[in-house]
Amino acid sequence: MPKTQFIDPNEVRKSGWIKFQDIPVNQYNKTIQQEKENFSKKDFLRIYRDMSIIREFESMLTSIKTTNEYNGISYNHPGPAHLSLGQEASSVGQAYILDKDDFIFGSHRSHGEILAKGLSAIEKLKDNELTDIMEKFFDGSILRVVEGRQKNKSSVKELAVDFLIYGTLAEIFARETGFHKGLGGSMHAFFTPFGIYPNNAIVGGSGDISVGAALYKKVNQKKGIIVANIGDASMGCGPVWEGICMATMDQYKKLWDGEYRGGLPLIINFFNNQYGMGGQTRGETMGYDMLARIGAGVNPEQMHAERIDGYNPLAVIDAMKRKKKILEEKAGPVLLDTLTYRIAGHSPSDASSYRSKEEIDAWMAQDSLVSYKEALKNAKVAKEDAFAEILENTKELITKACRLAADDSVSPRMNLNANPNQIGDLMFSNKRVEKMEDRKPEVLMPMEENPRVQQIAKKIRVGIQDGKPVSKNKVYNFRDGVFEAIIDKFYTDPTLIAYGEENRDWGGAFAVYRGLTEALPYHRLFNSPISEGAIVGSAVGYGMCGGRVIVELMYCDFLGRAGDEIFNQLSKWQSMSAGVLKMPVVVRVSVGSKYGAQHSQDWTSLCAHIPGLKLVFPATPYDAKGLMNAALMGTDPVIFFESQRLYDIGELFHMEGVPEGYYEIPIGEPDIKKTGTDITILTIGATLYRALDAAKILEEKYGIYAEVIDARSIVPFNYEKVLESVKKTGRILLASDACERGSHLKDMAQTISELAFDYLDAPPVVIGAKNWITPAYEMEEHFFPQVDWFIDAIHEKILPIKGYAAKNNFTSGEQIRINRLGI
Amino acid sequence: MAVPVIMPRQGQSVESCIIAKWHKKIGDRVEVGDILFSYETDKASFDEEAKTAGTMLAIFFEEGDDVPCLMNVCVIGNAGESIAEFDPNASKNEAASAVSIAVSEEDPSGSHKAIQAQHGALQASVMLNGTVCTNDAQSDVVQASAAAVASTDAGMVKISPRAKNLAERSGLDYRYASPSGPGGRIIERDLTALRDSGMIFTAAALKEQLKDSGDAGRQEPGAETGALRGGTGVTRTGSGLGGRITTADLASGLFAAGTSGAATLSGATALSGVSASPAASVSSGTPGAVMAGVPLNQPFEEVKMTNIRKVIARTMHQSLSSMAQLTLNTSFDISEILDLRKKLKEGKEKLGLGNITINDIVIYAISRTLAGHKALNAHFLEDRLLCFKNANIGVAVDTDRGLMVPTLFNANLMSLDEISAEVKKLVKECQAGTINPDLLKNGTFTVTNLGTLDVESFTPVINPPQTGILGVNNIMQRAREVDGKIEFYPAMGLSLTFDHRALDGAPAARFLKDLKTGLENFSALLAKA
Repeated sequence: MPKTQFIDPNEVRKSGWIKFQDIPVNQYNKTIQQEKENFSKKDFLRIYRDMSIIREFESMLTSIKTTNEYNGISYNHPGPAHLSLGQEASSVGQAYILDKDDFIFGSHRSHGEILAKGLSAIEKLKDNELTDIMEKFFDGSILRVVEGRQKNKSSVKELAVDFLIYGTLAEIFARETGFHKGLGGSMHAFFTPFGIYPNNAIVGGSGDISVGAALYKKVNQKKGIIVANIGDASMGCGPVWEGICMATMDQYKKLWDGEYRGGLPLIINFFNNQYGMGGQTRGETMGYDMLARIGAGVNPEQMHAERIDGYNPLAVIDAMKRKKKILEEKAGPVLLDTLTYRIAGHSPSDASSYRSKEEIDAWMAQDSLVSYKEALKNAKVAKEDAFAEILENTKELITKACRLAADDSVSPRMNLNANPNQIGDLMFSNKRVEKMEDRKPEVLMPMEENPRVQQIAKKIRVGIQDGKPVSKNKVYNFRDGVFEAIIDKFYTDPTLIAYGEENRDWGGAFAVYRGLTEALPYHRLFNSPISEGAIVGSAVGYGMCGGRVIVELMYCDFLGRAGDEIFNQLSKWQSMSAGVLKMPVVVRVSVGSKYGAQHSQDWTSLCAHIPGLKLVFPATPYDAKGLMNAALMGTDPVIFFESQRLYDIGELFHMEGVPEGYYEIPIGEPDIKKTGTDITILTIGATLYRALDAAKILEEKYGIYAEVIDARSIVPFNYEKVLESVKKTGRILLASDACERGSHLKDMAQTISELAFDYLDAPPVVIGAKNWITPAYEMEEHFFPQVDWFIDAIHEKILPIKGYAAKNNFTSGEQIRINRLGI
Repeated sequence: MAVPVIMPRQGQSVESCIIAKWHKKIGDRVEVGDILFSYETDKASFDEEAKTAGTMLAIFFEEGDDVPCLMNVCVIGNAGESIAEFDPNASKNEAASAVSIAVSEEDPSGSHKAIQAQHGALQASVMLNGTVCTNDAQSDVVQASAAAVASTDAGMVKISPRAKNLAERSGLDYRYASPSGPGGRIIERDLTALRDSGMIFTAAALKEQLKDSGDAGRQEPGAETGALRGGTGVTRTGSGLGGRITTADLASGLFAAGTSGAATLSGATALSGVSASPAASVSSGTPGAVMAGVPLNQPFEEVKMTNIRKVIARTMHQSLSSMAQLTLNTSFDISEILDLRKKLKEGKEKLGLGNITINDIVIYAISRTLAGHKALNAHFLEDRLLCFKNANIGVAVDTDRGLMVPTLFNANLMSLDEISAEVKKLVKECQAGTINPDLLKNGTFTVTNLGTLDVESFTPVINPPQTGILGVNNIMQRAREVDGKIEFYPAMGLSLTFDHRALDGAPAARFLKDLKTGLENFSALLAKA
């Protein structure tokens, strides 16, 4: 909502027409003879070789899957194999002009794209670069398996081809010598040194991740383009549409400054094999008729959309050359509808019940390997024996790789008996990296001139002074703590960007970013479309390419909109890459109240269930700044929860005041906010303050001294301090604003029961919000834990208090009743 | 060359497919691409095309057969070629043994060892639980733990782990604690209250205290043991360090003389060493729901069972419910003994004898008679009987604190006067409460006398694991016919309870008859010894 863009009612209310340009459909019509000026005989034949390698690779997997045998090699592969037989020309054509600086992202059906992109990169890389890559990747452990097995021992490229095929296959076979130690597998294979970025088992998963990669290229002025390879059916996935929206925002061309102005270097390429798993996208499950049509609805450039013939490698190469030029002219992004056909089923168990034999036969009659070969023969580029030699070579290559990958002695699996923590150790990278790149960060003013910084300088950095609370306008509050950590990192790490809804100008819905607009150029702080999926998904792409990013979800309740991106993407890529990728992404999530059922939910527990995420939920300005500093120093994904109840609160515990300088609160360490001897109260988030009020009553009225511990972090979590406290008090009550059923506190209570059982005087008791919808603010006291709930629960379940009458029903009978009713 | 056609595997989860239809039969010409057969999985149906040309030489499965994936289904080749080697049915047995060999060869140390290791771990854990570590023991362990759960269902003590720990650390018998936690759970503060009241045991005494008696002494939820909560001003300290109650205190029952909460003795002497305060806790008023069956508006006094009383109750009930007890009654002519007593009374000063009572005489007679009836001077231990050489006779003594049973060791080796003197000493010590606890153990037969209270006949209850107890009754005038005339004589009743598991009725009756003979001819019995 920049003020510079005036919305003139006279202009926008005028009548007129939206005009569309024609969208080209399979317009390529050059002959081989004509293409001879662009391709040498070697080039023509290399294209054929690359296609045949893919064909043989996928045929080998078909044979392994259905007969447990290939060319005399026995092997049982229980994992997935979504094969791309028939689609070879499209992948090879696309990869032909791409080099290692161009990144491709894939789908579950991407073996062909990986091989094509890898072969193209090998072709373009110098021998010493190739050697360097292969030697450095996992200390050359993959290279060691394949080296010395080449016909031409001195050919680095030949070695690199073996390396590529073997590394991919070993990954598919879950070998430790696979590209990612077998932790990715068929649907998540990739190899970043060749510019091959992750495939994705979630349909359309790359649709928004790739946008973040394009942002990374653009914001950090990196060479190369991004290609998102997704299927025609993924156009039905919300995140793909969100990704397209975010990729085509007007601001790139209208608001971003200087060299940053212009469209994203991104091709959203649909490998349109015309089927989902079995549903026909044209004629059955979608209505676009031709997928390229979608481009016309997105922006005036129509995304330069085009349908191209993916059965002709030269047509694809032609299109890629033209589209890459558009991207280099900063006129992207581009939408490509690359028409192709998979001869094989969705997977080996596909009986092709949804298509006729005639249809398959008709496409096989136009098989790209055959028709391309015939065209080359007819144009006298080469004779049959040249192709026969290529095929024979290919078969040898694939047989060699298969023999090695099937052999336990050279291709072992991770030995989880010997190293039981090997996967666990890969869940987080736990690195400390102050800045992801060493260059001067782009800012608009010195930090000390920033109006927000100047305003904060006048604030009082403690919440209580001389025994009296500091007034709301003067007190350094929670949002100031978050702000200070973030602006500090913006002035340190040049790769850091932040975006989300209303982040710029407005300063975020809760004004945490107020002052950042003045400090940062557009490309470092911008407003996103209301696309939570793409907000997080693009951050995943930005992070895995090597940039640091903070994104924001305005309300925790919107987390569902980014479900796949948080649960399957953000959390998993570090470990699925066996540590090759890092994920320095902070997702700020604001936990609401007052705004009813869809704006007031604490969903920390949903995230806690997902392995691979770090979760923090500070409740004080001191902790907020320290934890944000720690999150921004790390290389792991951190979901940073902030309670809207607390944005205005001052620091009540760290009486020296929130330090002006840099400090960190280690993620995972709870903090004792009040000491006591009789009962421990462990809280997550804003319930801390209600717990303290309850502790006061317990102490003053009933002589019970409560120790109050603020969890601060949810994952990871060091129980030592809590256990120590429970061993002392013998009792623990846990509280948060999350609905009680399935609350992560139940998990914590269970852990404490196990670890401190012999010290417990009563079972750990959890209080949380009711298992209802959040009612209106006026009725919230019946929904969220209140001060008297704490005392009631203690009285009823832990330590009956003489003369106390509970106001709420915490009896066992009530517990049984609400569970029986599911409420 | 003949080529077998296998049943393809359509996906990893498919283990076998059903042949739906054969499109070729044996002898048919087959071309590449011809459909050989159709087959089905639970999800879909497929056609298998021929990949080689030739003649269908053999078909191993019929339509409807469920064929494991990758198994040979048919053979294509030239007429006359051998197909036997491809027949999966023919080679089934060989294949099976081949597989088993392959497994052991392929992985001689891997999975098998892993299983052994697991087994070992299981055994180890079983051993840790103190149970025999054979494989068969596994089911026993399971059964045992199931039984344990069942037995805790009723009357279990609810106590928090923390409170239980505190009890053990501080030597507190938590059964004395008054629960104040949710649902009647004993929680930490209940133990600290108990500690403040002074009921602290030495570790050994606590162990003794808790041993065997289980949960018997548990207070009902909500019960107020007022005296124990302190404030009564009564000293509750034992003779141990820092006032701790020792095993000796427990055995003597002295540590809390005149107050509530007396000690329970260890299981072996629970019955014979009973001491009980008049009332552990007494309160008056109207009853709560727990007193179901008592008319609500009637005045009553609620007397709390002392814990020792509860132990007695359980032990007595256990004795009666687990043993095959029965009582034989008889009487004997006590004329001679009465005469003897008269003479002894007259001559005791001359001979320096003590006051020999009828009871002493009965004990003497028993001590001599038991020698010929070893099954009654014995302990019954389910699978065996321990028959003792000497007679250690328990003597029931009524004291202020209740019944006590000191043991007269080696009574068969003592003179009548010695017996008399020793019994007097024991009775005195019991009544004074100074009895050495060692003297409250190891009886082999018991005598109990209710005759002084004018009881004519009763059924004494055996003190396990003894096999017999003799009840001594009062003396009554009985009539008998002598030479056609009715004459009266003083007769004393005897009631022998014995454990029919240890001996039968006739042997028990013979003991009683021998005893009767000895008593009626006591001078001769004296001479015999």
